[in-house]
Amino acid sequence: MGRYLLTRLAFALLLVFVVSSAALVLTRIAPGGFVDQQCVTLSAKECEALRKKLGLDRPLAVQYLSWMSGAIRLDFGQSYLYSRPVGTLVRDRALNTAMLATLALLFATAIGIPLGIYSGTSHGIGRAIIRVVSVIGLSVPPLIGSLVLVFLAARTGWFPVGGMTSSTGIELTWAQWLADLARHLPLPALALAIPMAATLERLQSEAIESASHESFVAASRARGVDRMRSILHHAWPVSLRPVLGLYGVMIGSLFSGSFVVEIVTSWPGLGQLMFNALKARDLFLVAGCAATGAFFLAAGTLISDLLLAYTDPRVRSGERA
Amino acid sequence: MIRRAGLFLGVLTLFAVIAPWLAPYDAGKAFRGFLHAPPMRPHFEGGIVFHPLVLADRLEQRFEPNRARVVGMPWIERFEDAPVFLLGADDFGRDVLSRLLYGARTSIGLSLVATLGAVLIGALAGAWAGYRGGWVDEAIMRLADFVIVLPAIYVVLVLRAVLPLVLSASTVFVLVAWIFIVVGWPFVAKGVRAIVAVERSREYVQAAQSLGARPLRILTVHLIPACTSHLLVQATLLLPAFILAEATLSFIGLGFPDPVPSWGTMLAGAGNYNAVARFPWTLAPAVAIFAIVLLTNLLASQPSRPARA
Amino acid sequence: MDWPTGQDVNRQPRALLSVLLIGVVVVVAWRYFSSARPDTDGGSEIRVSEASTRGGTLRSSLRSEPRSFNRIVDRQVPTDLYSLFTGSKLIRVNRATQEVEPELAERWTTSPDNLTYTLTLRDGVTWSDGTPFTSADVVFSFQAIYDPKVDSLLASSLMIDGKPMTVTAPDSKTVVVKLPHTFGPGVAIFDNVHLAAKHKYGAALKAGKFAEALGVQTPPADLVSIGPFKLTTYAPGQRLIFDRNPRYWKKDAAGVQLPYLDQLILEIVPDQNAELVRLQSGQLDTLQQQVRSEDIATLRPLEQQGKLKLIEVGVAADPDLFFFNLRSPYWAKDPRRDWITRKEFRQAISHAIDREAFANTVFLGAGVPVWGPVTPGNQKWFSPNVPRYGYSVERAKEILAGLGLTNRDADPWLEDAKGTEARFTVIAYRGNSSVERGSAIIRDELKRLGIAVDVVLLEQGALIQRMVKGDFEAINFIQNATSLDPAMSPDFWLSSGSAHIWNIGQPKPATEWEKQIDDLMITVMSSIDDAERKRAFDEIQKIFADNLPVLYFVAPRIYMGVSARVGGLTPSILRPQLLWNVERMTVKQGQ
Repeated sequence: MGRYLLTRLAFALLLVFVVSSAALVLTRIAPGGFVDQQCVTLSAKECEALRKKLGLDRPLAVQYLSWMSGAIRLDFGQSYLYSRPVGTLVRDRALNTAMLATLALLFATAIGIPLGIYSGTSHGIGRAIIRVVSVIGLSVPPLIGSLVLVFLAARTGWFPVGGMTSSTGIELTWAQWLADLARHLPLPALALAIPMAATLERLQSEAIESASHESFVAASRARGVDRMRSILHHAWPVSLRPVLGLYGVMIGSLFSGSFVVEIVTSWPGLGQLMFNALKARDLFLVAGCAATGAFFLAAGTLISDLLLAYTDPRVRSGERA
Repeated sequence: MIRRAGLFLGVLTLFAVIAPWLAPYDAGKAFRGFLHAPPMRPHFEGGIVFHPLVLADRLEQRFEPNRARVVGMPWIERFEDAPVFLLGADDFGRDVLSRLLYGARTSIGLSLVATLGAVLIGALAGAWAGYRGGWVDEAIMRLADFVIVLPAIYVVLVLRAVLPLVLSASTVFVLVAWIFIVVGWPFVAKGVRAIVAVERSREYVQAAQSLGARPLRILTVHLIPACTSHLLVQATLLLPAFILAEATLSFIGLGFPDPVPSWGTMLAGAGNYNAVARFPWTLAPAVAIFAIVLLTNLLASQPSRPARA
Repeated sequence: MDWPTGQDVNRQPRALLSVLLIGVVVVVAWRYFSSARPDTDGGSEIRVSEASTRGGTLRSSLRSEPRSFNRIVDRQVPTDLYSLFTGSKLIRVNRATQEVEPELAERWTTSPDNLTYTLTLRDGVTWSDGTPFTSADVVFSFQAIYDPKVDSLLASSLMIDGKPMTVTAPDSKTVVVKLPHTFGPGVAIFDNVHLAAKHKYGAALKAGKFAEALGVQTPPADLVSIGPFKLTTYAPGQRLIFDRNPRYWKKDAAGVQLPYLDQLILEIVPDQNAELVRLQSGQLDTLQQQVRSEDIATLRPLEQQGKLKLIEVGVAADPDLFFFNLRSPYWAKDPRRDWITRKEFRQAISHAIDREAFANTVFLGAGVPVWGPVTPGNQKWFSPNVPRYGYSVERAKEILAGLGLTNRDADPWLEDAKGTEARFTVIAYRGNSSVERGSAIIRDELKRLGIAVDVVLLEQGALIQRMVKGDFEAINFIQNATSLDPAMSPDFWLSSGSAHIWNIGQPKPATEWEKQIDDLMITVMSSIDDAERKRAFDEIQKIFADNLPVLYFVAPRIYMGVSARVGGLTPSILRPQLLWNVERMTVKQGQ
C-alpha cells in the first residue's frame, strides 16, 4: 500500500511539473506576447521599460529556471494582467472552482447512485423511465447544459443568471453570504452534474445488477435477510468498485466541463482565469493555473485511487480492478 | 453495433455534404429588415404556405405576420422582401435553418476529418506499440496515458490559444483538426495496442512473418483490420466529442472566424442571456449537438464507457 | 476473496459522505475566514442630515481592473474614474454645458496679451488627511507632469506649440501660469491638469519613483483625496468602494456639503452581458457606459414598471471610424497602389454605404447618419455645410470606373486594368458589437459594389499595435472623445500628431490638404476669437470631407440605463456620461 501511494504521489508531482512547464513554455513562444499587447498606450521607451521590468527580455531558458526556482518555494511570480501575485489570484479562483466541482460531484452522486441502485434492482416501468432519462442526461454535455439552464434561468427568474455573488458591496454576514452563494451555485453545478449523474446511474445500475446475481446475495436472501438489506449491504458494496474507479476519470472530466460552465455562467473560477491569462499571454499566471489545475487533477485521481485501493485489495497489490 | 455505427457515421457524412441542396438560403444571406425574426408557422391552404413577416418595432425586434399575403416554401419560390424563416433568423437576419445545415457541414466536416486522422494515427501507433513490444511499447503507452490523464478541453484550449489568435478559416480548420488528432489518438491507440498484443501471437501473423512479410505489411494488412470493430466504436465516440470541442472553441472565440457558419459560432451569440431569452431559436445548434450526442449514446451500448465531456 | 462484513460495509459509504461534507465545510470556512471583513455599519444606514436627498449608496460597474491610481501616468478608464471621484481640478469644463467652471481656483485674471493666467485658490481647502492644499501642490503637480522621468501622457496635452507652461506660486494662495503661446480654449486647458499631493509624493518624485507611486497595491489608508470621495476598499477582481470625503470643500447652492451620496461602489464586471443582468436585477444602479442598442428593448419593460429610467443623452460625439492606411511606403510594392489610396476610392465607398440601413442594422435605428468626425451631438462645432456623399451605388460604380475598376471577368469582383482584384482587409476590435456588426455591414455593402472585403477581428492590443506600426490595410475603429473642443485634442488633426491615425506622426505633411489643415489648426488652437476659430474649423471639416482620410457612417444615440431611485443627474455625451458629476447624484433612501 505504501509503495502504491508513493508511486502515485510521484506520478502526481511529475504531472504537475510537466504540465506547468509545458504551459509556460508554450505561452512564452506563442505569438502576440503580453508586452506587445500592452504597448498600446505606451511609447517605445515605456515599452522597453515594461519588457525589462517583467523580465521578458531574458531568454526563455533563463526565465524558465527562475520560475522553477520560485515555484519550488511556492512563489509563482507576479501576474502581469492583474498586477498581483499569482499565488493569491489562483488560490481564490481555485477555491471557487473547487466549490463548484464539489457540489457538482455531490449532486451527481446524490442523484446518480440511488437512481442507479433502484433501476438496477427493480423491473418495472420505473427502470425504463430512469434508463431513458439517463441516456438523455448523458447527451447533455456541460456546454449545452449550461446554455439551456442559463436560458431557463433568464426566462423564469428562478435562479440568478450567472456570477457567483449578487454582491451589493455591503459586507454580508456569514449566513447571508452562504444563502447568496446557495442561490448562485446550483445552476453551474447542475450543468456539470447532469452528465456525470447519468454516467454514474448507468454504471451503478449495471454493476449492481450483475452483483445482485452473485451467489452470496442469494445466500443472504436464503438466510432470511430482507430484499432491501441484502441489496444495500451485500450487493451494493461490491458494485461500488467499478463506480469508484470511475470517480478518478470524472475528476478529469469535471475540470474540462468546469471551464466551459464557468465561461457561460460567469463563474469566477480557475478555468476562466486560465482563459483570460492565455489570451493575454500572462506567462506566470498561465503556468500557475496549469500547475494548480494539474495539482487538483492529480489530487483528485489520487483520492479516487485511494478509495479504490481501500475497497479493493487487488488494486493495492498492483493489479487494476 | 458495427453496422449501426457505420450507418450513423454515414448519415452524418451525408448531412455534412448535402447542405447546399437542402438549405433554403445561403449561409451568409442577410435580410436586413428581419433581424431576430421568429420562426414562421406553416399553414395549410392548398399546400404549405406562410404569412410573411412585417416589422412592427425595430428597436424591440418585433414582427407581425401579414395575413393578407401568402408565400410558398422557400425551396420553391423566394422573395427578397418576404423571406421564410422555418427556424427564425439570427441577429444579422440570416436564416437559422440554412446556417444550421451549412454549420453542420463545417462542424461535422471538421470532426470527421479529425476523427479519421485520430483513428489512423492512433491505429498505427497502437499497432506498432503492440507489435514491437519492449521500449517502443512502453514509450508510446506512457505518452498515451499522459495525454489521456489531462483534461481534453484544456489541452485543446492551450494548444489553440498559443497559436495566433486570429487565423483564416482554412488555417483554423487545419490547425484545429491537428489539435483534435493530438488529443484523440491515445484513446484509439490503447485499444489497438491491446488487441494487437494479443493477435500478434496468432497463427496467421506468424504465417505471414515466416513468409517474409515486412512489419508494415503485417500491420496494415493483417493486424489493423483485426481491430476494425474497435476502431469503429472509437470513431463513433470521438466524433461527437470533436463536434462539441469545436463548438466550445468557436463559442469562446478561438474557433472559426465570423462569416463561416459553424455550430459554435452560431452559439457564440448565446452569451447574451437576454437575447437568448427573447429569441430562443438561436439555441438551435445546441439542440443539434444534443441530438448527435444522444444518437451516439444510443448506439454505444457499453454503459461502462463514460461519456467524454 | 474477502467479502466485507456487514459492519465494514456500513462504514464505507458513510465515511465517503462525511469526508465530502467535511471538505465542503472546510472550504466554506476557509472562504469566510480568509476574506477580510471589516466592521461596517452597512451602506443602508441612513444619515440624518439637513437635506433629505443626502445619503445612500450608488452602485455602478467597472469593466476592467485598475492598473494604477496615478492619473498622471495612466489614462485607462478605471484610473480616470478614480481621479474623477477623488480629485478636484483647478478649473473644470462642465461636460454637459461645455462651460468653464471655477473649482479649486476660485477666480482668475487673464493678462491683456492672453499669455498669463493668475489663479486665486480657494480658502480653507484641505486634503482628506487634513493637510492644507496650497499652491505648492499645484506647482508640484505640474512638475510631475512635465518630468521626463515620469513620462506623463498628460504632458503633450499641456504643451502649447510644443513648449510647456511655466508655473510659479508667489504665495500659498496664488498660482501664476505663463503660456508660451495664446491658446484658443483658454483656461479650459486646466481641465487637463490632474493634481497630486506634494506632502505625500514629493519625495517619490525626487527619487524618480513617482510613476510607481499610487500603484494598486497601495493601501487605501495611504491614499489622499481632494475630491468628493475617498477610496476605502479595493477588492481585486471584485469591487472598489468609495466613501464620502468629509473634508470635501464643495457645497451646493443651499450650503449643503457635497457629495450627497454616502458611498459609491464600483463592481468589477468584465462581461457586458453580466453587467446588463445586474442592472436588470437591481444589483447595479447604472453602468459604466451606455446601454447597447440591442439591450434597450430588454430594459423597456423595466422602465414601464418604474424600476429603471432610460435616458436619451444625445447623439454620440465619437462615431466609429473607418480608414485606410495612407502611408505611401506601405503600398509601394502593392499592385493596388494606383487606386487604393486615391480619395476617389474612398468617396466611392462613402457613396456605396446605405447609412440608414447601417443605422437600422447596427444600432436598430437608434443612430443618425454622419459624414464627418464632428457629429450633431457636438453642437458648438458641428458644421452642416460639408459635402455629403448620398447613397448611390450607381454613382459609386461610376467613380470606380473612372479609376479603372470595372468587372472584367466572370466573377462578381471588380478588377483594374492590370487585372488586380478589388479586395482589401479590414481589421476591427473583437468583442465590441457595434464595430463587429458595422464591419459586417461594410463588407456586405461593398460586395454589392464588387469590392471584396475580408474582415479580421483582433484583440485590442494587437489592433493598436498594428495601427501604430502602420501595418494594416484598413481599420474599423473606436475612439473615445475626451473633449468637444478640437484644440484640446489636436493630435488627431495635426499631421505630426500621435492620433493622426491614417498616417501617424508625420515629420512634415505628406499631402497638400494635410498641410492646409495644419495651417488652419494653428488658428483653431491659438486664436482667442471664437468666431475666427469656428470659421477655421468649418474650413477644416470641408477639407476633411473632400479628402475623406476617415469615413464615418452612423453616430449612435446614447442611452443611459439608470435605476429609478437615482436622481441629480447631469448627463453628458462624453464619457463617463453620468458619473462625471457624481457629487450631485442622489439616491432615494430605503436602499
